[in-house]
Amino acid sequence: MTVPLLEIDDVTKQFGGLRAVSNANFTLETGKLHAIIGPNGAGKTTLFNLITGTLPTTSGHIRFLGDDITDEPVHKISQRGLARTLQIKSVFGGLTVRENLWIAARSRFGVFAPFMSWRSCQKSNERADAVCEELGLMAHADQLAANLSYGDVALLEIGLALATQPKLLLLDEPICGMGPAETEKTVAKIQDLAKRIDIIIIEHDIEVVFNIADEITVMANGGVLAKGTPDEIAKDPDVRTAYLGDDDDDA
Amino acid sequence: MTVRTINRFGTLVLVVFTLTAPWVLPVFVDAFWVDIYSEILIWSLLAASVNLLFGYVGLLSFGQALYFGMGMYGVAIGIAKLGFGFWGGFGFGVVLATAMAAVAGVLAVRLTWHYFAIITVVFSLIFYFLALSWKPLTGGDDGLPFSMPPLISVGDFELTLTDPDVQYFFIVLMVGACYAIMGRIISSPLGRAFVTVRENDLRASLIGLNVYMIRLSAFIVSGFIAGVAGALFALFGRYASANFMFYHVSGEAVVWAIIGGVGTLFGPIVGTSLLIVLREELSHVWAHYPILVGIVVILTVIFAPKGIGGIWAALVHRFAGANTGKGGDA
Repeated sequence: MTVPLLEIDDVTKQFGGLRAVSNANFTLETGKLHAIIGPNGAGKTTLFNLITGTLPTTSGHIRFLGDDITDEPVHKISQRGLARTLQIKSVFGGLTVRENLWIAARSRFGVFAPFMSWRSCQKSNERADAVCEELGLMAHADQLAANLSYGDVALLEIGLALATQPKLLLLDEPICGMGPAETEKTVAKIQDLAKRIDIIIIEHDIEVVFNIADEITVMANGGVLAKGTPDEIAKDPDVRTAYLGDDDDDA
Repeated sequence: MTVRTINRFGTLVLVVFTLTAPWVLPVFVDAFWVDIYSEILIWSLLAASVNLLFGYVGLLSFGQALYFGMGMYGVAIGIAKLGFGFWGGFGFGVVLATAMAAVAGVLAVRLTWHYFAIITVVFSLIFYFLALSWKPLTGGDDGLPFSMPPLISVGDFELTLTDPDVQYFFIVLMVGACYAIMGRIISSPLGRAFVTVRENDLRASLIGLNVYMIRLSAFIVSGFIAGVAGALFALFGRYASANFMFYHVSGEAVVWAIIGGVGTLFGPIVGTSLLIVLREELSHVWAHYPILVGIVVILTVIFAPKGIGGIWAALVHRFAGANTGKGGDA
C-alpha cells in the first residue's frame, strides 16, 4: 500500500465562537491534481493555514507522506517539502526577482553560513535561474519584485514555492484577480507543474477547476461535503445545494 | 563609472582619511579632533549595531546601550576588580556583552515592532538601575575607573594606549575589524536571510527559513558589535559608568543610524560623524542645539527615510546613469 500524500484526520479549528474547520476528514493520494472548492467561509484557506503550520490546530491530526506534521513550526513543514502560495500575493518587494528566488533556493542548503559570499553559492544560483527561466521571468530577473506587474508577482509567488523544490505545492487562488490572458498562461503552467509535483489548489473559478483537477474536494461550513472526480462532483446533489442554496424555489 | 567603482572610491577615501587622520587633522583643524574622530568611530559601532538590527532584519532596538554598557563594565571590572590584563579585560567585556545579548535575545526576538522596542528598553533599564545601585562592583554614580594595563609587553618593549597613536590605531583596527565582519555577514547567505525576514517574515518562514533563529543571530551579532564599542570606549576613557547604559544613549544611536541611513554598511559612520561634529561645534554656542537635531531627524524620516546613505546611493545611481540599474547596498 502506498503512503497517502496528505491525511486530514478529524481536524478542527475554532476561532472563539466560530468553527472555521469542523472535524474535517479526507485523504489525498499522490500523482493527482487536487482541488478544494467551496463557498466563501467554507474553511479552505484556514485548512491551508493549518496544513502549513501558520495557524495552530484546535484538535485533530495532519499527516504528510505518513509523518504527523500537526502544529510543527512553519519552516520545518516547508523543509519537509510542502510549499504554498498565499491568496494575498506576497513576495520580497525590496529584493530583485533573482534574489527572491535565490533565497528560496538557498533555504534548502541552510542560511547559517555567515562568512561565505552569497553570490558564490552555485547550486542556489542555478536553481534560482532555472525557476526564473521556467516561469518566463528572466526579462525581469534584476528588477525589484515591488515593481513587477500583478501577473508577474503571481508567477514569482509560485516561483518562490518552486525554488524550494517541494514535493507538494498548495496554491491558494493562484489566478484570482487575473485577466483572461494571464489566467490562461498561469493555468497552463499549473497543469505543466502537476506532471512532476503534487498540487492542491484552492480556486473560485469553477470552470478552471473542473477543467484541470483530477479530484475535487468540496468544503462547506468547515467540513467536507463531497469528494470525487469532476464528473461525480458535478452530479452531486449536496454540492448543488451548497452552491445554489436550498431547493425551495425550484419546481 | 559604475556604481561599484564610485562606492569603492568612497570607501577608499574613508579608509585613507582614517589612516592618516592623526597627521592630517592637526594640520587643518586641531589635534583634539583626532580624539573626537576616535570617539566617532567607537560610537559609530553602536549606531551600526542598531542599523544591523533595524536596517537589515527590521527590528528596532532602543536598548543597544545595555550591550555597550556590558562591554564597558566587562573591561573595567575585569581590569580593576579581577586583575585581568589588557586583552583579558577587553575579551571579558566583549564576551559579557555578547552573552547578555544572547540571553536577552532569546526573549526579545519573539516579539516584533513596538513590543520588541519596549522589551529592549526594559532590559536596558533593569541593568541600568542594577549598575547604579550595585556600588561595590560598579562604583554606582561615580563610575569605575581603572589604570591602563599594557597592550603588549615584551622585555623593555611596551605598547600602551597612553600613547595617543597606539590608542588611535588600536581603535581603528578594532572598529575596522567590526565593519569587516559586518560587511562579510551582510553579503553572506545569512545576510540575505536577514533582509528576507525584514521584507516579509511570514513568507520567509513559508520558504523554510527559521525566522526566530535568524533574528536571534542578528541580535547576538549586534550585541557583540555594541559590546566591542563599549569595551573600546571604556579603554578610551579609562572608566565605566552606568550613565552610558541609560536609554538616551540607545536613543542617540537610533538617531545616528537613521540620519546616516539604515540598511547601508557605512551609513552609521556618516550619521554619527555628522551629529557628533554638530554637537562639538554647537553645544557651547547654543545650549538648545538638540532642537535642531530633532528637526533634522523629523525631516530625514519624512523626506529621506533612507538617510544620508540613501541620498548618496540615489546620487551615485544618477551619476552612474540608469542603464547600469543594479540594486545593491552601498
